[in-house]
Amino acid sequence: MLIADKVADWGIRIGGLSVIVAVFGIMVFLMQVVVPLFTGGRVLGQQSFRIAGPADTLVAGGLDETHVVAYTIGRDGEVGLYHVASGRRLAVPPLDLGGKRVTAFGRSIVGGEIALGFADGTVRFGKVTLSAEIVPGEALPAGLQSLGSDRTDGSAVFTPIAGEQFRKTAIAIRLDAEQRVVEGRSIVALDYRSGGTVERPVRTFATVDDAGVPRLSLAETRVNMLTRQARTTVSTAELPALPAGTRVARAMVSEKGDQVFVVDRGGIVFRYDTRDAKDTKLAETRDLLVGNASVGSFDFLIGEQSIVVTGSDGSVAVYFRLPQPGAATTDGFRLVLAHDLKPQTAPIEAFAPSERGKMFVTADAGGGVTLRHSTSEQVLLSLTQAGGVAKLAALAPREDAIMVIGADGLATVWHVAAPHPETTWASIFGKVWYEGYEAPAFTWQSSSGTDSFEPKLSLVPLIFGTLKATLYALLFAVPIALLAAIYTSEFVTPKVRGTVKPVMEMMASLPSVVLGFIAALVLAPLVETFISSVLLAFVTLPLSLLAGAYLWQLLPRDLSLRLGGGVKLALAFVALAAGLLIAAYAGPAFERAFFAGDVKAWANGDVGSGGPFTFLLLLPLTYVAVSIVSERLLGDWLGIERAQPGLRTGLTDAARWTATLAVAAAVAALVATLLTAVGLDARGGMVSTYVQRNTLVVGFAMGFAVIPIIYTIAEDALNSVPEHLRGASLACGATPWQTATRVILPTAMSGVFAAIMVGMGRAVGETMIVVMAAGNTPIMEWNVFSGLRALSANIAVELPEAVKDGTLYRTLFLAALTLFVMTFVVNTLAEVVRQRFRKRSAQL
Amino acid sequence: MSATIEPLTTRSDAPTYTRSRVTALGALGEPFQWLLAGSLALGMTMIVGFLLLVLWNGVGALWPKPIHLVTFADGTRIAGEPTRVEEFRVGPERLASLDEATRRRIQVDAGYAWRTLYRTGNFDFYNDDFRWAADFEVAKVEAPVDFYFVERLEWGSFVGRIAVVEVAGERLAIDDPRAVAAHREALRRLGAIRSLEHGAIGHVNARIERERLGLRRVAIRESEASPAYAEAKALAEARIAELRAEYQRLADEVQRLKTEDQRYKVTLVEIGGKDKTLRLSEIVRFYPANGVGWLERIGIYLSRWGEFLADAPREANTEGGVWPAIFGTFAMTLLMVIVVAPFGVVTALYLREYAKQGRMVAIVRISVNNLAGVPSIVYGVFGLGFFAYTFGASIDQLFFPERLPSPTFGTGGLLWSSLTLALLTVPVVIVATEEALAAVPRSMREGSLACGASKWQTIKYIVLPRALPGIMTGLILAMARGAGEVAPLMLVGVVKLAPELPIDGVFPYLHLERSFMHLGFHIYDVGFQSRNSEAGKPMVFVTTLLLIAMIAGMNATAIVIRNRLKRRFAGSQF
Repeated sequence: MLIADKVADWGIRIGGLSVIVAVFGIMVFLMQVVVPLFTGGRVLGQQSFRIAGPADTLVAGGLDETHVVAYTIGRDGEVGLYHVASGRRLAVPPLDLGGKRVTAFGRSIVGGEIALGFADGTVRFGKVTLSAEIVPGEALPAGLQSLGSDRTDGSAVFTPIAGEQFRKTAIAIRLDAEQRVVEGRSIVALDYRSGGTVERPVRTFATVDDAGVPRLSLAETRVNMLTRQARTTVSTAELPALPAGTRVARAMVSEKGDQVFVVDRGGIVFRYDTRDAKDTKLAETRDLLVGNASVGSFDFLIGEQSIVVTGSDGSVAVYFRLPQPGAATTDGFRLVLAHDLKPQTAPIEAFAPSERGKMFVTADAGGGVTLRHSTSEQVLLSLTQAGGVAKLAALAPREDAIMVIGADGLATVWHVAAPHPETTWASIFGKVWYEGYEAPAFTWQSSSGTDSFEPKLSLVPLIFGTLKATLYALLFAVPIALLAAIYTSEFVTPKVRGTVKPVMEMMASLPSVVLGFIAALVLAPLVETFISSVLLAFVTLPLSLLAGAYLWQLLPRDLSLRLGGGVKLALAFVALAAGLLIAAYAGPAFERAFFAGDVKAWANGDVGSGGPFTFLLLLPLTYVAVSIVSERLLGDWLGIERAQPGLRTGLTDAARWTATLAVAAAVAALVATLLTAVGLDARGGMVSTYVQRNTLVVGFAMGFAVIPIIYTIAEDALNSVPEHLRGASLACGATPWQTATRVILPTAMSGVFAAIMVGMGRAVGETMIVVMAAGNTPIMEWNVFSGLRALSANIAVELPEAVKDGTLYRTLFLAALTLFVMTFVVNTLAEVVRQRFRKRSAQL
Repeated sequence: MSATIEPLTTRSDAPTYTRSRVTALGALGEPFQWLLAGSLALGMTMIVGFLLLVLWNGVGALWPKPIHLVTFADGTRIAGEPTRVEEFRVGPERLASLDEATRRRIQVDAGYAWRTLYRTGNFDFYNDDFRWAADFEVAKVEAPVDFYFVERLEWGSFVGRIAVVEVAGERLAIDDPRAVAAHREALRRLGAIRSLEHGAIGHVNARIERERLGLRRVAIRESEASPAYAEAKALAEARIAELRAEYQRLADEVQRLKTEDQRYKVTLVEIGGKDKTLRLSEIVRFYPANGVGWLERIGIYLSRWGEFLADAPREANTEGGVWPAIFGTFAMTLLMVIVVAPFGVVTALYLREYAKQGRMVAIVRISVNNLAGVPSIVYGVFGLGFFAYTFGASIDQLFFPERLPSPTFGTGGLLWSSLTLALLTVPVVIVATEEALAAVPRSMREGSLACGASKWQTIKYIVLPRALPGIMTGLILAMARGAGEVAPLMLVGVVKLAPELPIDGVFPYLHLERSFMHLGFHIYDVGFQSRNSEAGKPMVFVTTLLLIAMIAGMNATAIVIRNRLKRRFAGSQF
């Protein structure tokens, strides 16, 4: 063997196989990108240290951005700052509380704003800042002690980062002067939000004193423009008192100060409507816990639309405040259980929300620590800590570390990664109850202008859009393509076929971007202006063709035989033109008669009744029914079916057809009247509000892409039916029509089916036409006059903007995988059927 | 249909007129046949109508149109090119504002009326390029001879009078031959400025950038403290200083030309009386729309085509030419063919000549067929995720660390687009090649082998040459498919405006990592993303025509080759 042979042998084998491997690698690669969406969270490392002093008296704690340090604040103002990796306590001066002990504590989710309440009825605001600044290596202070890879000067931590630089992490706590809320009463519950501008900060805080009086206060600081001195004024509104015997567990205020919640230990929530500070109302009283469980925590998640309620029974539930018609509350809103999350086995003691998303941590008395996501309802991580009853939990700002401090003072820090908490199979393919929605829904909305926006990534509306576009495109394309294929294969001479087929195939080579452009910028405005004519054409085109047929029947048989299929095709063009002309001219009259003079207003449901349209929908059905009856009865009786073609028979048949049409119309009108009387109206379902770039236009444009494919494959299938079958049928006296419908079509059926499947595959994956002509609104309605957003279009529009390896990026890969699988299934089915057809036709 | 084929005479009640044995009417299925014929006719009407629409709009888009001076019933006047006439439905509010007689006339026409879209230009004055004029509101339409259509570099076209041309301080009328000559000279000067700016200065900038990157490379490899770095730094700084001096010299030259350019000015006056003075070189073309003859019109038409094919786009792609897009499309398609040809042919050879024909090969063949049906956008997603973000990012790490974090191969580009499309079209080539291989008569192969040729020799000297036309057909079909695809390219490297062509005079001449422009994407971009889709429409139609012509040309070539192949086969049978 020659060396060249060996090289070629191996080269070709390896080359061939590698192409096949590459081709299947696509699917594997797509899957590999998608899988992390469903893997929940992982623990990257775990560290623990012991805090100084008792854990029972902690009021707050947290981690910095890079979780190098952790801090705690005690009731006595003691501040602990710990280096997480070594557990070493750093020196931080305690808060100067003037010897008082904190009796109530409130904090904001983001920004480190804190408020402390005291037994003498005063409150103090403050802010905890964990600062991070970059220090160049040469500017590092001298005499640093080593903390593993980090260094410290005793109070701050220096962490080496890239470029020979260090990040200095330190804590700074600012505490403002005290404000008096109530005289002679102790504050037992407190919540605090800071808003307004830098020049005019507005602080909203809600307090409850030991007599059970809730208050809402507003502290406004104004800077005098001349003296540059800040003056703070506090205005306090007393809210309707709580019932006697309420053991207040928690007070909570919304950022705008329009809602105050006070929670009793037994789980009863008192919701105050404070939109009008002069007229505050107790809007709603609800018991959110089952039985005699007590409240573990009651907190907002970021965005303040979700309220997480945990209980001593281990339950974790998320409530939304939603407007409800007929709600027994003064403001029409009601707390609604939106997500009932997986319970924990022990009473829940600590809770920590995320600063950037809908994740939160719950820690229970049995050492169970759970990282959850509210919207997707999934448990991302289940951890166990050894420090006994959890006293405090914290989630790092970047959601990449959890700290839990147990009763015995053991603090455990887990470094975690949960990059895609919002996605589960259920959240992508099922209904999800998002904040601000009145019920669970399928929603796709990947981005928005606001910060607290939560991406809504359900693929269902997109899959629906793809299916809708495919369905309407096929409704339009399949009949045309199949009928045209049958005609080309069975009724015209090979010469005509030789010109017709390449013309139709030329359609397949039109780039879809061109189709999309013409559809969106030429066709869509045209269809919008002449919508009534377009709708009328669906009626006039078949009718004018049928009229042509009955006129043709008047010709003497020998003449019509001599003229043959080509001339008939030419005349069909004439009939088509006539039908279009009639539609164009009769459009306005049709619009007046059927759509109260304005199709768009009619479709919107503003004018007219649904009856005439129901009549149009019923007309084809009744026509088929009536014509079957009339052929069976009238045809037999008149003998037309068996009569020799000619003028007289033709006339009789034409008369019969006219009668059939009239009767069909009458029946359709009758049924439509009945259905309308019952209240059936096509509007709101198949037809509704009209938009310019709609499914009708998409279906038509997609027809250009799909018709040639179905046509070619179906024509090939019909044509490959063995000639002897055709010959035998014709020789037995069957007409070409009988041969086509009873011999050729049944034999080629599987090939024709395969053609439809391949066409469907093309429609499913078509991108540019839907991007340009479909309006890209991810809505779920079958309305033919509205737009849609298909999987393919969505990928094309959003993927260039998606951050690599982000949730949106991976979800779009999932969309691609879905498309891949959809078309693969459809095409494989078509291929298997086609191969069976080939085998069968080879046997014939 | 109750037509049965039983003998007609068996029925006792058969009517008398069925004596002769002619086919019965019901058996002909005439109405059904007409529906079939109608469908075929509809399909053909669709494609022919579509092509005619594109052809008409594409061919006519660049034709110089007359300028109409339209006086409305309320006295306002506009001047512009009539672009399009259409029937429209008069809205109820509009209808209510009209006088009785007009309203009645519209109502007689079922609420429809005709209107004309005028391209009024002068975007800088009115923030709008177009104006609709309904027939019922127009009082008078004139065709003034002194109105010029002026195509400008900025702000789109201008319609109005040309007041004065200022040539080096001298004020001339526009019909003065010296003014026309000055315009020609100004355009030549602008060309010189451009070629200096993009050519020589661009080249110098590229070299400065290369020095800078080279230095960073040393810094990354050897660390900044090393002696090698100090040496490289000194060398680079010396070279950069040299290049800076060169740059300064070129910049001075450009400045000199620009100062000269300032001395040639033209003042335009639009119909509302507002005027604007601009440099003569800012005018691309001007002609008195109503005062030019047929020959001149043809001249303008051809010069516009020349500009369209050879120039870069301007005004957010809505004017100028599409040369970068043509170039990009060709470069990408060519590169794709270079990649897809060996792989497709090798795979087909493997499937047809080497692999054992069994269940495995059948499955593989179904899969290959299937892959031809996988949506193109899925390939785009794969191309972005694998080629650009995974493979390209690794290349950047290894070979271009000095450019990070800005990606070189780690983002979309020409190479990744070509590879993505190669993957997309490989099934087309495999199927076509397999068919071509299968068509080579077995006898020839056996003859070759019997003569002692090895398998590879047989393939190389007997099979491949015979299959070549078939393979070529497959490749051309793949090119046609590839050239028309847009969706995957949107993800892997096509941009609306690429500053540089992927091939130029700067080392290494072929820049595979650059993003590029594409005719198909140009259509999408101008039709959908531009400020005024109406202004871009003529461009889109011409681009569409070009793209369709390109693809049709490729398909036609494929058909010609296929036919020649058939003839050759007919001769080679023995």
